[in-house]
Amino acid sequence: MDPRTLTELQLDALGEVGSIGAGHAATALSQMLGTPVDIDVPDLKVLSVSEVPGMLGGPENLVGAVYSRLLGDLNGGLLFIVGRDALLELSDLLRSRTPGTSKSLGPAEEATVTHAATVLIAAYLAAVARLTGLSTLPGPSEFAFDMLGAILEGVTVQVGLKAENAILVLTRFSTTEICVDASLFYLPDPDSLEVMLGRLGVL
Amino acid sequence: MSTFGDIGGLWADPDDGTVLVGTGEFAVAVHPQRLVTPALGSCIGITLWDAFTRRGGMAHIMLPSPAETRLGGLADRFASVAVPRLAEAVSGGSPRRRLVAKIAGGSTMFGGDASIASIGLRNADAVKHELNLLRIPLVAEDIGGTHARTMELYLDTGLVVVRSYRYGIREL
Repeated sequence: MDPRTLTELQLDALGEVGSIGAGHAATALSQMLGTPVDIDVPDLKVLSVSEVPGMLGGPENLVGAVYSRLLGDLNGGLLFIVGRDALLELSDLLRSRTPGTSKSLGPAEEATVTHAATVLIAAYLAAVARLTGLSTLPGPSEFAFDMLGAILEGVTVQVGLKAENAILVLTRFSTTEICVDASLFYLPDPDSLEVMLGRLGVL
Repeated sequence: MSTFGDIGGLWADPDDGTVLVGTGEFAVAVHPQRLVTPALGSCIGITLWDAFTRRGGMAHIMLPSPAETRLGGLADRFASVAVPRLAEAVSGGSPRRRLVAKIAGGSTMFGGDASIASIGLRNADAVKHELNLLRIPLVAEDIGGTHARTMELYLDTGLVVVRSYRYGIREL
């Protein structure tokens, strides 16, 4: 099934899954940090994979990315993308430091952001699992910091060599101090998308 | 060919002489133009250059052959399709033996997943195989690793410049 042919109702259903996922993720992050973390209700978009670099500052834009392949009843992948500055701020936020403290990207920053992204990915999948009754697990998370175009390319090749469209869930983390913009992309395998919508009762 | 506006970022407003090669596409140009393909990950950028006419071509190849996927889409994203087509387009009837090839890309951006960890190297092998069949010599390569590359071909000298975040500028 082609994500471009989704009806309003089907998009609403996916949006609902996204907001419940974001809710789970916010709770998990608050628990990790010991302070309230808000995650905005995500903005849902269906994009062709080739449109994504244009939205996020061009194919050569340097970004941090965490990728996890889906295992279990659904195929596809989840990709978390954050710009360089936002990556450092997110890392500071998660390590209870004043935002702006981290100046360079080292193993500690990578690890922190990878963990946070893993929590987000798992939370999103938990929401999918709860609403659909499908059992889906995230594969091991991997971090990369490089050109956006190359990261997307590697991932879209991976998603069964089939996904040409991505469902983009834009989120924003905020505490009382700062806001960090990050994006979570759900790259569904077209067959899995059909299964998921069927379980949501909107196929 | 992609339009620059679609791609955004640095390439949203290039100078006139730059020909952009999008993912899964190929293009041919003549000096004083130059060919650029941004952000090669597991994909392979291949350039063919004719020193006599100072004409060259570049392709951005995603997969070894159409057997890899069930989807339609751009046929030129496959090595087995794009390399012969590119050779034909660059030589344009003149002797193909003047062409020389250079390749870059084929890296592994996310290495932990067995299903794609090898895709970059398989792409490189497929491209080399096609070049062998066409008897076009491969004179330089910068492939593998875990980093992204941007490839440019200057058509006056056949110089290929490979840029990456991790290793800076490399000339082939």
